[in-house]
Amino acid sequence: MATTTWTRRHILSLADFTVAEYETVLQTAASFREVLSRRTKKVPALQGQVVANLFFEPSTRTRSSFELAAKRLSADILNFSTGTSSLTKGETILDTAKTYLAMGADIMVIRHQHSGVPQAIALEMDRLESGVSILNAGDGQHQHPSQALLDLFTLTSLLDTDNPRLELLSGKKIAIVGDILHSRVARSNIYSLTAAGAQVHLAGPPTLLPKLFLEILDGEQKDKLYLHWEIEPALKDAHFVMTLRLQKERMSANLLPSLREYHQRYGITRECLELCQPEVKILHPGPVNRGVELSSDLMDDPRLSLISQQVTSGVAVRMALLYLIGSSK
Amino acid sequence: MNSESNESTLLQQVRVINPIAGADRIADVLISEGKIKAVDFNIAEFSQDTTIINGQGLVLGPGLVDLYSHSGEPGYEYRETFSTFITAAAAGGFTRIGILPDTDPPLDNLGTLLSLHQQKQKLSKTIKQLPHLEFWGAITMEIEGKRMAQLAELAPVIVGFADGYPIKNLSLLRQVLEYLKPLGKPVALAVSNCELKGNGVVREGVASIRYGLSGNPGFSETVALSAVLEIVDAIGIPVHIMRVSTSRGVELIANAKQRGVPVTASTTWMHLLFNTNDLSNYDPNLRLEPPLGNENDMLALIEGVKQGMIDAIAVDHTPYTYEEKTQAFAEASPGVIGLELALPLLWQRFVASGEWSAVKLWQALSTRPQLCLGQQPTSCLPGHKAELTLFDPQKTWIVEKSNLESKSANTPWWGKEITGRAVQIWTDRD
Repeated sequence: MATTTWTRRHILSLADFTVAEYETVLQTAASFREVLSRRTKKVPALQGQVVANLFFEPSTRTRSSFELAAKRLSADILNFSTGTSSLTKGETILDTAKTYLAMGADIMVIRHQHSGVPQAIALEMDRLESGVSILNAGDGQHQHPSQALLDLFTLTSLLDTDNPRLELLSGKKIAIVGDILHSRVARSNIYSLTAAGAQVHLAGPPTLLPKLFLEILDGEQKDKLYLHWEIEPALKDAHFVMTLRLQKERMSANLLPSLREYHQRYGITRECLELCQPEVKILHPGPVNRGVELSSDLMDDPRLSLISQQVTSGVAVRMALLYLIGSSK
Repeated sequence: MNSESNESTLLQQVRVINPIAGADRIADVLISEGKIKAVDFNIAEFSQDTTIINGQGLVLGPGLVDLYSHSGEPGYEYRETFSTFITAAAAGGFTRIGILPDTDPPLDNLGTLLSLHQQKQKLSKTIKQLPHLEFWGAITMEIEGKRMAQLAELAPVIVGFADGYPIKNLSLLRQVLEYLKPLGKPVALAVSNCELKGNGVVREGVASIRYGLSGNPGFSETVALSAVLEIVDAIGIPVHIMRVSTSRGVELIANAKQRGVPVTASTTWMHLLFNTNDLSNYDPNLRLEPPLGNENDMLALIEGVKQGMIDAIAVDHTPYTYEEKTQAFAEASPGVIGLELALPLLWQRFVASGEWSAVKLWQALSTRPQLCLGQQPTSCLPGHKAELTLFDPQKTWIVEKSNLESKSANTPWWGKEITGRAVQIWTDRD
């Protein structure tokens, strides 16, 4: 198990993640992947600790992944979702968090449809000197750190299974295609992939990819980010292509004329992949709109698609994150 | 502090700000029978029962004037009652205050307005230093922007006309401005194009992208502002533009003024103190309408006030309960309280830092708001009615329940220590 000291209490955003932290996550995740390949897939790392999954926004996949990760670490798990909640009865987000604090939660995994909620809860938990750690499981259009970290783990593991590390991605060209504006996954990946030294090429229509994205990074990382309103220059010689889910409501907001036109211009097809490196791989945070952002046949092609590896990586990476913040207590 | 009008108070060696004359000097000030009796370097003659206040380190100026704020009552007493609102205004150094009509029922009818006037009379019997309360009458029924309120009927009991919300229907706006011509009352308009604003909750820019918050483009303000300025230019009736929040907005207003369009403008104190870079913590107390500007907007507004393109700083006090404000940033109701905080925080930021003179700040908070309302500015010269604010720029205090008169707590300064506090107001009410 990685021995590097971990001091971060909350994982809210990758904007201020350090290289050392990325490396620690990758190494720790690699250890847990090994655990997951054993016959007994459970370790007592978080025995006695309570992990509360507070999912204000419905999510089956991410919640299941976190739940399994916590179970594999022998933590006790509390699940909260809005369908069963009293939020409609006038309870504030902080009231909900405080309820779980009172039940003894050590870690709260928070998903919310609006940006900033995990931050707000983390501030309140710190103000109360509760010692509780907050793990952002996706907030609005802001950040989805565990997704970007599992993407990082998937990519670096592909390049060196035994020793996934940042430098493996140095100089690699990665295209992120689609609705960047509304994507928390893209925002987190922009930080992690540029920190790894990859060249990150964003592509999408101007309505979903404002030029302002070029200004969100500082320093050296800024020079590793590119923006394209056509897909071809982004895909040219790319080593990896990440596509994002297109929400159908973008049509009604007059951001796009139609799904058909979107697929024509920004959908990933076998044909347009010919522009990429021959060994190109595709990532998608799921769930996929088949035939919109990604041709249906590509998704099921194991030579091209890393989608199922992403899901598998997800459990190991989330175990790593829970373990790191849980055992630093 | 007791200061009934038959009593005398002598303020010794107080820093007197005279924004009309542009003067700022140390003097003794004698206040008696509701009037300023004397302002002199050394006042030796005063009656024996005079209360003497050592004014060293204190600042005295004409009473502060808030162009527009939300009272809570009627309808939202759980946020603020009439009584807590008035005591908060007095505690913050305001002697005149304009109340916006978006109450429940709204101030779009004579009956509600008259009952508020009655309530005001009642309060004046229990609260000694009662600020002058002035009501903005609604321009449109129910503040819906659909049809005119009974404008002429409301005119005698209000300070001016304002909905406090943008009027989308420009044809209606045009007719309102035409119709109001003979009534001679100020008109204040909020400018924002709702379609362009969309579901934006922060000013569009790098911060909105970085923090993943839906952006409201600056041109949602300036498109609407341009339209209003064109109409005002054509009709020729004086109009006040509320809550200017963009750098381009300042430019448009400056240009219009230069062309002789009869327009005045205000921004809010919050837009001068914060910008989108301050949103990293997603404090719902920084969710405002219009939203905080980007840094360049804030700087242009500061310069705008300094140069006079923006005439006045409004408080736009907007109380909300804990439940209404403790939400995700995007879902929190927009607005903050400010009556007790605006003067000290503006003073700290602009006067204590040396960026503005004390006279400049006092003008933007007293003289110029009155000019926007078409009123004769309050004077602090001998012989005039005593309508004054005494301020202690050094006093430190913590923003918490026990120190605030306001019923609500929605401010980013909650729990923090700030420097400067209004000490007392004098209002000579008829």
